[in-house]
Amino acid sequence: MPLDEKFSPIRKGLLEFLVLRIVSGATVYVPDILKRLAHTEFATQEGTLYPLLSKLRREGLVDYLWQESDSGPPRKYYRLTDSGRTHLAELDAYWALINKTISSLGS
Amino acid sequence: MQKVITVSLNGNAYQLDEDAYGQLSIYLDQSARALAANPDKTEIIADLEQAIGEKCARYLNAHKTVVTGAELRLIVAEMGPVDGDGEATAPGGGQTGSSTGGGAQSGTAAPGAAGGSSPRRLYQISEGAILSGICNGIAAYCAVDVTLVRAIFVVSFLFTGGLALLAYVVLMFILPYASTSEEYAAAHGVPFNARTLVERAKEKYAQFAQKQEWRGSRAQWRSEWRRIRAEWRFERRRLRDQWRAHRRFGGMPGGPQTTPAGAPPPTGSYFAHVFSGTLMAVLGLVFAIVTIVWLLALLSLVTTGALLGWTLPHEIPFWAALIGLVLLYNAVIWPIRSMRRAAYYSVGAYHGAWIEAWNGIIGLAVLIALVWYGLHHVPEVEALFDQLTHWWRANVGSSAGDWT
Repeated sequence: MPLDEKFSPIRKGLLEFLVLRIVSGATVYVPDILKRLAHTEFATQEGTLYPLLSKLRREGLVDYLWQESDSGPPRKYYRLTDSGRTHLAELDAYWALINKTISSLGS
Repeated sequence: MQKVITVSLNGNAYQLDEDAYGQLSIYLDQSARALAANPDKTEIIADLEQAIGEKCARYLNAHKTVVTGAELRLIVAEMGPVDGDGEATAPGGGQTGSSTGGGAQSGTAAPGAAGGSSPRRLYQISEGAILSGICNGIAAYCAVDVTLVRAIFVVSFLFTGGLALLAYVVLMFILPYASTSEEYAAAHGVPFNARTLVERAKEKYAQFAQKQEWRGSRAQWRSEWRRIRAEWRFERRRLRDQWRAHRRFGGMPGGPQTTPAGAPPPTGSYFAHVFSGTLMAVLGLVFAIVTIVWLLALLSLVTTGALLGWTLPHEIPFWAALIGLVLLYNAVIWPIRSMRRAAYYSVGAYHGAWIEAWNGIIGLAVLIALVWYGLHHVPEVEALFDQLTHWWRANVGSSAGDWT
């Protein structure tokens, strides 16, 4: 089993965390999110990202605003809500904990 | 030459060739199915449409206005299969990134895996058909071998004394042809690969051209019949596209909440089609029966002087009965004819031209026969004709020269 495949569920689970992190920086358009992830291990596609964003929006962690574009219809720009920010802080702390656990185990 | 289909992706119009249209329909159809349980389905589909539209724009410029199938395949691969549950729990989900997303995805987006939710409809399928493709369509619908269906049909034909053949003819009129890839998909109840379909269609045309050559004149009536039906189909498709375009412009309030208009074909049109086809067949039958009865009545009146065995009362002269019969026929046939015409229109195949021409020829022939008969057998008409010729000689003939 290649490494890539072994960690596939973990990467998938972490995607939400990473998207929240990207959105926390500035309001972003979906292609921007994809571009940020494109050359990482977490590269993903619209088919995955849109359903994920809609789930995050339903949970009240992100919302979006419409911005006019020069070419084509208005675009959705996503940003973090206040509860999203709180949640992200919790996730950050939890992630740090996991990292600490991993590095404390083994030699 | 490729046919171009205009679609609206979240409020913007794009032109796709047929292959691309098939690809897009399949992708959006699969996405919609994967999101069936998602409360934000409409919104996500709209988002996906917008993303596809933006990707299409990359391939378009002032000198290239149509997105091809190959380009759309790339776009769909880039989009990746839609994640059904969105809860990020699907095991083995293909997050492998920029490598084309195709087969890596689990359950929800896979063809066939959606169980009963894919639409399955009865169509005629003309590729590999012996007569019209009814058996082919039934075989596709039931997912059994076409030979079996044909055998059953032949056996039932023998046992029902030809009733099965009648049913076949009726179905020929009623069932729409599967002509686009999504219709083929619906005929089989599974999404189909559009490219193989296009290739198979081309093959079929080549085969047909060959067949025509060596079958010679025996097949001529068949080819003629097919040609007419092909015209019908073409017309039907044209009107359907018009209707789609109309819907596109009708439902385009620019806002974010527009429903996905590039989505798979409307279910309504299939049933409307079946209804119109039925109406057309039934009305055609009624029309034919009325006409035959009328011709028989006319014949009996002319040969025996009685109306199908019923002798005329003495006060009604023979010619009045003739005229009355013609008027009665027109009165009966008029509503049927207009209803039938309406049915044609609603199917989108107004092929009145040749039917009307046929009606006209019959009408003219009957008129000529009536005049000829009147001149030779009805004294009143003879007298009238004599008077007319006298009048002509007196007023026109004298100046134009003598004639006999």
